[in-house]
Amino acid sequence: MKPCIQAVHIYKHFPGVQALTDISADFYPGEVHALLGENGAGKSTLIKILSGVYTPTEGQIIYNGEQVSFDNPGQALDAGIAVIHQELSIANDLTVAQNIFLGMEPRKKNGYFVDTRRMNELAQEALDFMNVAIRATDVARDLTAAQQQMVEIAKVIVHNAKVVVMDEPTSSLSEHEINALFTQINMLKEKNVAVIYISHRMKEIFQICDRATILRDGCFVRTCLLSEITERELVTSMVGREMKDYYNRQKHTRGKETLRVENLCGGRWFQNISFSAYSGEILGVAGLIGAGRTEVMETIFGARKRESGKVFVNGEEVNFESPKDAIAARIGMVTEDRRRTGLMLQSTVRENVVLPSLTENHKKFNFLNFKWEKETAKEYVDKLGVKTPSIETLIANLSGGNQQKVILAKWLIASSDILILDEPTRGIDVNAKSEFYALMNDYVAQGGTVIMVSSELPEIIGISDRILVMHEGKLTGELPYEGATEEEIITLASGSAENTAKGA
Amino acid sequence: MQKNGFKHFVKNNIVVIFLIALCFGFGIGTSKVFKTGNIADLFSTSTFFSMNNIVNLTTQMAINAVLSAGLTYVIILGGIDISVGSVAALAGVVSMLIAQRLPNVNTFCAVLILLGSTFLVGIICGSFNGLMITKFNVVPMIATLAMQTIARGLCFIFSGGKSVFGVENVYGFLGGGRLVKTEAKPTGWIPIITIVVIITIFIVHTLLSKTVFGRHVYATGSNRSVAHLSGINTKRVIFACHIICSVMAALAGVLNASKLQNGQPAACDGYEMYAIAATVLGGTSLSGGRGSVGRAMFGVAIIAVINNGMNLMHINSYWQKVVIGSIILLAVILDMAQNKKKD
Repeated sequence: MKPCIQAVHIYKHFPGVQALTDISADFYPGEVHALLGENGAGKSTLIKILSGVYTPTEGQIIYNGEQVSFDNPGQALDAGIAVIHQELSIANDLTVAQNIFLGMEPRKKNGYFVDTRRMNELAQEALDFMNVAIRATDVARDLTAAQQQMVEIAKVIVHNAKVVVMDEPTSSLSEHEINALFTQINMLKEKNVAVIYISHRMKEIFQICDRATILRDGCFVRTCLLSEITERELVTSMVGREMKDYYNRQKHTRGKETLRVENLCGGRWFQNISFSAYSGEILGVAGLIGAGRTEVMETIFGARKRESGKVFVNGEEVNFESPKDAIAARIGMVTEDRRRTGLMLQSTVRENVVLPSLTENHKKFNFLNFKWEKETAKEYVDKLGVKTPSIETLIANLSGGNQQKVILAKWLIASSDILILDEPTRGIDVNAKSEFYALMNDYVAQGGTVIMVSSELPEIIGISDRILVMHEGKLTGELPYEGATEEEIITLASGSAENTAKGA
Repeated sequence: MQKNGFKHFVKNNIVVIFLIALCFGFGIGTSKVFKTGNIADLFSTSTFFSMNNIVNLTTQMAINAVLSAGLTYVIILGGIDISVGSVAALAGVVSMLIAQRLPNVNTFCAVLILLGSTFLVGIICGSFNGLMITKFNVVPMIATLAMQTIARGLCFIFSGGKSVFGVENVYGFLGGGRLVKTEAKPTGWIPIITIVVIITIFIVHTLLSKTVFGRHVYATGSNRSVAHLSGINTKRVIFACHIICSVMAALAGVLNASKLQNGQPAACDGYEMYAIAATVLGGTSLSGGRGSVGRAMFGVAIIAVINNGMNLMHINSYWQKVVIGSIILLAVILDMAQNKKKD
C-alpha cells in the first residue's frame, strides 16, 4: 500500500528557534497514526505544515504520490486534509447543517441562494451514516462538547477528507463519550482515511492507534508499531530518560479531619453530597464530565451559591459568600481551565503568584510591598522548580506545566491548608505531570489536604489515597486506592451499579 | 535581546519620542529659523518655546489631564466611560450655582465649596454608573452613554439653559489664580490650576501603581474571574473605579468653570474623546489590564501640543479634529499590533 501523505526531511526554522529538524513520517490510508511528544516537541508545528498553515523551511510534503505545497489551510482542506483542533471550530449560533457546510454551502440552480433543504438533507445523511442522534437543524449551542465533536467529524465526511488530524480530541470528553468517538474513528479507518491522532493519554493511544511517531525537541525519535512496544518504552522515548515511578506514590499518614461536607445541594447540578477530607491525604474525585464534580468544588470554595447543606472546616461550620471567605479560611482552588479562570495571561509571574496574598501581606497603609513580592515569588519559583527566565516574565510565555506550577505556588503563598485541584494535569506533558504529582505529595506530607478532581482514571488510581465517585450529581461510591480498578470506577461513574441494584 | 536594544528602546518609548519630535516640529514651524538661517535662533524666536506659551500649555493640559487620569482606571478595567464630558459640565454648573448663592466667603472657603461640589456631583454620577454596571450588568458603553445624556440634560435644567455667571472673584482662584508675581508679570507665573492638577495626578497615579487597591484594578481588568477566584471583590473594585473616574471628571469641570468664573451647560462637549485618545496614546490597552496614569500624561501632552502648535501656526481648528482623530486611530492600531504579537 502506498502512503497517503508523507513528510520528507522537513525542517522548520523560526526566528531564533529551530522548531523542526529533519522530520520524516509516512501516514497510510486506513491507519490511525499517533503523533507523540511532550509539549514543545514540535507536534503542532508538524501538523501546521501538513495542513498548510506554515510552509517548511526545507523538505517536501508528498500527497498521493505528488509533491504539494499549500499556501493556506483552505487549499489543504480542498485537497482533502482536515484538522479537528482541540478548541473546536464551531459557530455556536448556526445550525449543525450550516456548520457542516460552512464555506461550501450547496447553491440553488441560479447559483446565488443557499439551497437550505438540500444542505439539511446532505448533513442529515452524514449524521445518520455516523449513527449519532443529532438533527441537522439543531443549533450548535445546544449540543454538548462531545456532540459538537461529532459535527466536526461529519464535516470531515462531507468534505470527503483523505487525511484527518485530531488534536487532543478527548481532552474534554468523558469516558463513554470517548468510546463513541473511537467508534467514529474506526468508521473513518474503514473509509480508508488516514487519521493522525495527537494525545497525552497513553491508554487511549494503545486503544485506538496502530502506529506512533515520536518527536522530541523538534527531532524525530522513532516510528513504531504500537503492538510491539510497551507504555514504559513509549514514555521513555518521549521524555528521553527512564521514568521510574511516574506517579511517585508515597505513603501518607492521614491526620485529622479538615473538611466535612454534609448534604450539600446545588440545584440541578448535584444533590446530597456528603464527604470528609483529612490532612495528609489526597482525595480523588472521579466521574464523567458533567457529573457535577466541578460544581461541588466551586460551591465549597464559595464561587457558586449553595441551595442547602453544611460545610465544616476544621470542625467549625462555615458559610462562604465568595471565594474571598474561603481563602480567608485557608482554602485554595486550582480551576480546570487555567487560561480562562487561572491566570492573568498579560501579567508577569510575580503579579500572578502574589495575587491572593496581597491584602494580607501589605497591611501598611494598603501600599504594595514590592520587596516582599519579589522575594516570595523568587522563593517559590525556585522551590517548585518553575522554569522561567525570570519572575518578571509574562506568564503567557511559559509552558502549560510551568503555568500550572505558578498557580499552585499562588495558593501555597496564600498558605492554604486545603487545596482543591480541578483537573490539575490537563494538557500538560508527561514530565511536567510527574513533577506536579511530586509537588502534591510534598504538600500532603507537610500536613496539607488535597482534593483532586480528575477525569483520567490512571491518574486517580495512581495518586489518590481515597477515591470518591460521582454520577449525575450524586456520590455513588467511595473506594480505597488499593485494589481499585478502572472498571470498578467506570461502573460507579456511569451509574450502572445503581441500575443493577435497582433492577435486583 | 542585546542586539535589539535600540529597537526595543524606541518601541517602549515611542510616545515620548513622538512628543519630543512634535515639540521641535512646532518649535521650528513657529520660529524665524528659516528666515535667519541660524539654528541658534530657535529658542529665542520661536513662539512655541516662549515661556508664556509653555505656561499656557500646562493650563491647557490641565482639564484633559484630570479627565484622562480618571478614565485610565476605567479603561484598565476593560470598560469605558463616555460620560466624563457631561459630568464635568454638570459639576461646573452645580458649583457655580452654589457659588452664586454664597457670595461673601474668603478664598479658603471658596476652595472648599468648589471641592465639595466636585465630590457631590462626582460621587453621585459615579455611583450611578457603577451601580448600573455591577448591579444591573449594563454594558459600560451603554450605561455611561445614558449618564452622558442624563448629565447633559440636568446641566440645562439646573442652569435654565443659560450660563451661570456673576460669582465672586474668590471662586476664580482655584482655576485662574497664579502664584509668584513679579514686576515683569504682575498676574503671576505659576498657575494654581497646574499645581492642583500635578498634586491630583500624583495621588491617583500612586493609588494605581503602588497600592493593593491599584493591583486589584489591574487584576480585575486582566481577568475578572481569576481576580474573583483569588478573593478580590471585583464588583467593589469596578464600583470604586467608576466613582474615581466621575470625581476626576467633576474636578475637571469645576476647575474649568472656576477658570472662566462661569458655569456653561454646554461646556466640555466632546471632551471624553480627547480623554480617551490621551489615555490610549499613553499606552493603556482598551482591552484592559495594562496602562498607567503617568504614561497617559504623555498622551495628554501630545494632544495639547498638537492643538496649541496648530493654533500658533494658524491652522484651521476643524483640521485639528481631523488630525487628532487620525492620531487616535494610529494609537489603537499600534495597541492592537502589540497585543497580536503577544499572542
